[in-house]
Amino acid sequence: MLRTIQQIVIIFLLILSLAALPMIIEVNSVEKSLDWNFEKLPEVFGDFISEISKGSLGTYQLGTQRRAIEEDIGDNFFTSLKIMLLGVNAAVVISLFFGIFISRFHLTKVFNFILNILSAIPDFIIIIMAMILAVKIYKMTGIRIMSLRPDAGALNLWFPTILVSIAPTLYLFKLVTVKNYQTSSEDYIKTAVAKGMSLNYINFQHVYKNVEPFIKAELVKVISLAIGNLFIIEYIMNVSGITKFIFQSNEIQPIAIGLFSMLLISGFVYISVRLVFYLFKRGFIYE
Amino acid sequence: MNKLYKFNSSLYFGVFFVFVLIFLSLFGPMMAPFSLTELLETQYTNGKVLAPPLEPFENASYPLGTDKWGYDLLTMVLHGIRYTVFIALAVTCIKMLFGTVFGLYIGTWKKTPSWVITFENAWSYVPLFLILYFFMKPISFNSSLETRALVFYFIILASVISIPSIVSSVRLKTNELHKSVYIEAANVLGAGRNRLIWKHIFPQLKETILVMFILEIVYVITIMGQLALMNIFAGGTIVRFDPLIYLSTTKELSGLVGQARGNIYGNTHILVVPLIILLFTTISFSLLANGLKNRFQSNYSKSPWIRTGQIQILKPIRKQYSNKRNIWKPSGERLALMGLLLIFISASVYVVVTKDNDVGVKNYSKAKYDIQFEMDKNGVFTTEANILVKNKSDQKWDELIFYFISNVFKRGHQFQSVKGYSEIKMGEIKVNGEKAKYSLEKDTLKINLSEAMKDKKKFNVKIDYEFTVPEEGVRFSKEKENYYLAQWYPMLATYQKGKWNKEEYSDGIETYHTDFSDFEIAYKLPKGYSFISSAEKDPQLKNNEGKVKINKVRDFFVAIIKDMEVHEALANDGVKIRIFTKNDHHKDLKETMNHAKDALSFYQENIGKYPHKQLDIILDNGLFMEYSGVITINPYIEDTYFYRNAIVHEIAHQYFYGVVANDQYNQAWVDEGITEFATSMYFYAGKNQTERHAFSIPYRRMERIASSEPPLGRQYSNVPLNKMKNTGFIYGQPAVELLNLMKDKYRVQGEDVKEVSMQFLSDYYHHFQYKEVDTKEFIRFTKVYFNVPSGYFNRWLDTSFE
Repeated sequence: MLRTIQQIVIIFLLILSLAALPMIIEVNSVEKSLDWNFEKLPEVFGDFISEISKGSLGTYQLGTQRRAIEEDIGDNFFTSLKIMLLGVNAAVVISLFFGIFISRFHLTKVFNFILNILSAIPDFIIIIMAMILAVKIYKMTGIRIMSLRPDAGALNLWFPTILVSIAPTLYLFKLVTVKNYQTSSEDYIKTAVAKGMSLNYINFQHVYKNVEPFIKAELVKVISLAIGNLFIIEYIMNVSGITKFIFQSNEIQPIAIGLFSMLLISGFVYISVRLVFYLFKRGFIYE
Repeated sequence: MNKLYKFNSSLYFGVFFVFVLIFLSLFGPMMAPFSLTELLETQYTNGKVLAPPLEPFENASYPLGTDKWGYDLLTMVLHGIRYTVFIALAVTCIKMLFGTVFGLYIGTWKKTPSWVITFENAWSYVPLFLILYFFMKPISFNSSLETRALVFYFIILASVISIPSIVSSVRLKTNELHKSVYIEAANVLGAGRNRLIWKHIFPQLKETILVMFILEIVYVITIMGQLALMNIFAGGTIVRFDPLIYLSTTKELSGLVGQARGNIYGNTHILVVPLIILLFTTISFSLLANGLKNRFQSNYSKSPWIRTGQIQILKPIRKQYSNKRNIWKPSGERLALMGLLLIFISASVYVVVTKDNDVGVKNYSKAKYDIQFEMDKNGVFTTEANILVKNKSDQKWDELIFYFISNVFKRGHQFQSVKGYSEIKMGEIKVNGEKAKYSLEKDTLKINLSEAMKDKKKFNVKIDYEFTVPEEGVRFSKEKENYYLAQWYPMLATYQKGKWNKEEYSDGIETYHTDFSDFEIAYKLPKGYSFISSAEKDPQLKNNEGKVKINKVRDFFVAIIKDMEVHEALANDGVKIRIFTKNDHHKDLKETMNHAKDALSFYQENIGKYPHKQLDIILDNGLFMEYSGVITINPYIEDTYFYRNAIVHEIAHQYFYGVVANDQYNQAWVDEGITEFATSMYFYAGKNQTERHAFSIPYRRMERIASSEPPLGRQYSNVPLNKMKNTGFIYGQPAVELLNLMKDKYRVQGEDVKEVSMQFLSDYYHHFQYKEVDTKEFIRFTKVYFNVPSGYFNRWLDTSFE
C-alpha cells in the first residue's frame, strides 16, 4: 500500500515537472547558456492543483481560441484508448500464440523469421517505411490504406493501431521465445514428457504457466513502449488523439492533463491485459 | 552446407559492418565529394537539364542524388554519420558505466529500499523520448547555444534518463546471482563486498552487459530518431519560415530523416536514402549484439526437452586452458580480426593521403629534370638535358611536347622588345636510349615516339643542344655581362583533358604552363661569374662549378652575373632575402630591402608559409618578373610608385604562381588577378592606405579601359591571351571585382573587410597549394566560401563551362 502511494506521488511529481519543463528552461541568448527558472515551479504546480480542485480541467489555446479542455478531451481520449487497447492486446495474443502454442510448426518459423528481422529495425523506421509503403500502394492501386486527415474516421484508426502494436509484439515475442526456450529445458518438462503428456498439454499447463509471470513483469514496459510509439504515430499521422494536447501547446495545463490521460490509458490497458490473462487461465488452465 | 549453416554469420557481419561504420564516422567528411554548403545549380548540358532534386544513381557526381535544394545527399550522410555514431556511443558509455556500477552495488544490498523500486517503476511508465522532448524543445529551435553545447546537453540528458532502466536490469541480475551458493561460500571465506562484486558477480555478468551495451546503442539511435520525427534534432534545429521547414544543424542521420519527413509523398529518395543508412547503422549494431548473444547462448544454454521451434545450431566455443596460445601465429577468428584491422588501417591511410586529390585541375604529364650545362667565354651554353617524363594518363602518347622558348628569338625574329637574337644548335635527341625524330618550330619541340615507345609510361628523354642568349631580350636575356636564363631548358608541356596543352609564345604576358617538377642542375662557368638560381641553396658566389637541386617548383631560373653587389636580410621563419644590384641607379637600396622584407613578412603572416628558404631579388634592366624563388626588378624606371608596387607584386607571385598553379595562357587572370589583389591588399590591410590609394593600380587600369579610344567595351577576365583585348581585364578587373566581392559579402565570414580578405587569400592558398586552379575551381571554392551562386561572378567571369 505504501509503495503504491509512493509510486503515485512520484509519478504525479514526475509528470508535473515534465509538463513544466518548457516553462522552466530558457536559453540565455546573451551568455549563450541555459537558465533554469526553478522559482516558477511552486507557482506552476499551485496553479495546476487549484485549477483541478475547482473541478475543471482548465483551458488551452487552439489557434486564436481559448477552449475548455474537458469539452474537447472526450473524443481524443477514446480515440487513443481504442488504439492502445487493440494494439497492446493484439500484441500479447500474437506473441503468446506464435511464441509458445504453435511455435513448433514449420510454417510458424517463417513468421518467426520475419518477426526476427523486423525486431532488428527500430520502431520509428518501421513506422516511416510503413507510411512510404502505404503511399506507394495508393499510387499504384488506388487503394487507400491510410489517411492523414484527422477526420477520416475508421480509415484513420486501423493503420495506426497496427503500427502501435508492432513494437510491443516484437518485444514480447522476443521475450516469450527466449523464456519458452529456457523453460523447455527445465526438469519438470522432462518429467512431463516422460509421463507421456501431449505437447499441447505441456505448453498450456507447464510452459505457459511459467512464462506468464515474466510477461506480467514486463507488461509495464511493453505498455510504455506502445505509448511511446502512440505519441509518434498520432503526431505524424494526424490522428486526433490525446497527444494533441501534449504537442500543440507550451502551457502546463493541457500538457499535464494529456500526460495524466496517457497514464489513465496505460492503466486501462494494463487492467485489460490482466483481464485477458485471467479469462484465459480460467478457460484453459486448471488452477 | 551444414557447416555454413552453423556459421555465426550475424557476429561476423556485425563486426564487419561496425568497422565500416566506425571508418565512415572517422573519415566520412574527408571522403565527401562536396562541401556541405555546395549545391547543384540547375544546368543545361548536352540537351539535358540537370536540376535538383536528382534521383540516386542518375548522375555520376551525385551518386545518392540531391535534396530539393540541390545539396548532395551522400555528402550530408558522410558528414552526419559521425554525429549519430558518436552520440550513440557516448550516451551508451555513460549510462552503462553508471548503470552497471549502481546496479551491481544496489543488487548486493540485503533489501532493496522500496523507494528505489517505486522510482524505477514510475520512471518506466513515461516514454524516455518524451522527457528529452520536453527538455530539448525550449532550447533546440534556432538556438543561440552552440551546436557543441546542444550535443553535450543531449548526451548528458539522454544518458541520465536512461540510467534507471539499466540499474534496474543489472540490479535484478545481480540480486539473483547474489543468492547463489558460491557467493555465500566466498562470503564465508571472508570476501568483502567489493571483492564479491568485481571478482564473483561481475565476471558472470560480463557477457550480458556487453550484449546490453550494444543493444543500448541501437536504443539511443531509436530515441534520436523518435525525437527527429518531432523536428528535434541532436545538435539543434534550424527553423526557416515561409515555408516552414526544419533543418538539422549537424546533418546527423536521424536528423536527415526527420527533416525529409515531408517527402513520403514524392521525391521519396530524399527520405529513403538517409533512412537506409540509418537502418544500416542500427542493423549493424543489432547484428553484432545478436551474434554475441548467439555465441554466449550456445556456450551456456541447456537443450530443451520438447520441440520449441528453435534449434541451437552454433557449436559452443570453450576456453582452452591446456594448450598455450601462440601469439605469433594467429588463426581463425584472430587472423580475420587482424586482417580487418589491417584493411581498416590501410583504408584510412589511403583516404587521408588522397583526400585532396579532387582539388584542382589535373595534369597527366610529369617531368623530372636533370640538366648539365657549360658556358664558355663567348656566352655559348653547351647543354645536356636528361628529362624523365611520365605519362600519368590512361591514353597512349604519339609525341612529347616541350616548350623551347629560346628558339623563338633566333635571328630574324619579329619581337621588337628583343634587341639581339639567340642561336640554337640542336644535337641528338634520344628517348629511352633510342634516337628519336623531332621537330622544332617556333617554341614547340615535338618529339615523335616510335610505335614501340607509345605504350610506355616512362620516357627518358635526352636532349643535347647549344644556345646563346639574346642581348637585351625579354626574360631570356643578356644584359651587358649578366646572363638571365629564363625558360632556357625544354619545359614539358602539360597534358590535360586528353591532349597536350601547349600554346604559342607571344610577346607580353607569360604563355607557358608547366607543372611542378624536381630539378637537378649541374653547371660550369668561366671564372668571375656567379651562379644564382631558383635552387633551395645556391652555391657561394664566384663558385664556377657545381650542382644544385630543388623539388616541386614550376620553373627553374638561372642568373649568371658578374660584379654585382649583394645585400642580405632575414624575413620571418629564417627566410633569407638577397638583393643583387649594380650601383648605377638612384633607387634607395636600404628602402628597397626594407620594403621587400616587409611585404614578404606580411604575406608570411597573413597568407602562409613562404615556399622556399631564400628569395633572390635581382635589380637589373629588363622586365619585372617572377620565377620560383627569384624575382627580377628593373630599378631604372622613374615611376617609384610602380617600382614599389611591382616588388610586392612579384613577391605575391611566389604564392600565386609559385605554389598555386594555373594555366598562364588560358587562365592568365588566376595568378595575375589574384596577385594584383594580394598586392593591393598589402597596401590596404598591411599599410593602412585608403582603399582608393591602395587599389590605385587596378582602378587606373579599369579607368584606362573605360576611356580608351576606340572603346574597348567589356570583356570577361577568363579569356585566353590571344583573345584578350587589354591586360587590364586580366590584372585589374579581377582585383577590383574581388574587392567588391569582399565588401559585399565579408559578413558571411567575419567582421572586417580587410581581415576577411586576407583570410580568404590564406584559405585559398592553403586549399590549392601545389594544385592547379582554373576559373571553375576558383568559383567552386569562392561561392562556397561566401555563400553565393555561380551567377554572382557573371559580371567579370564567363561561367558557362563546357
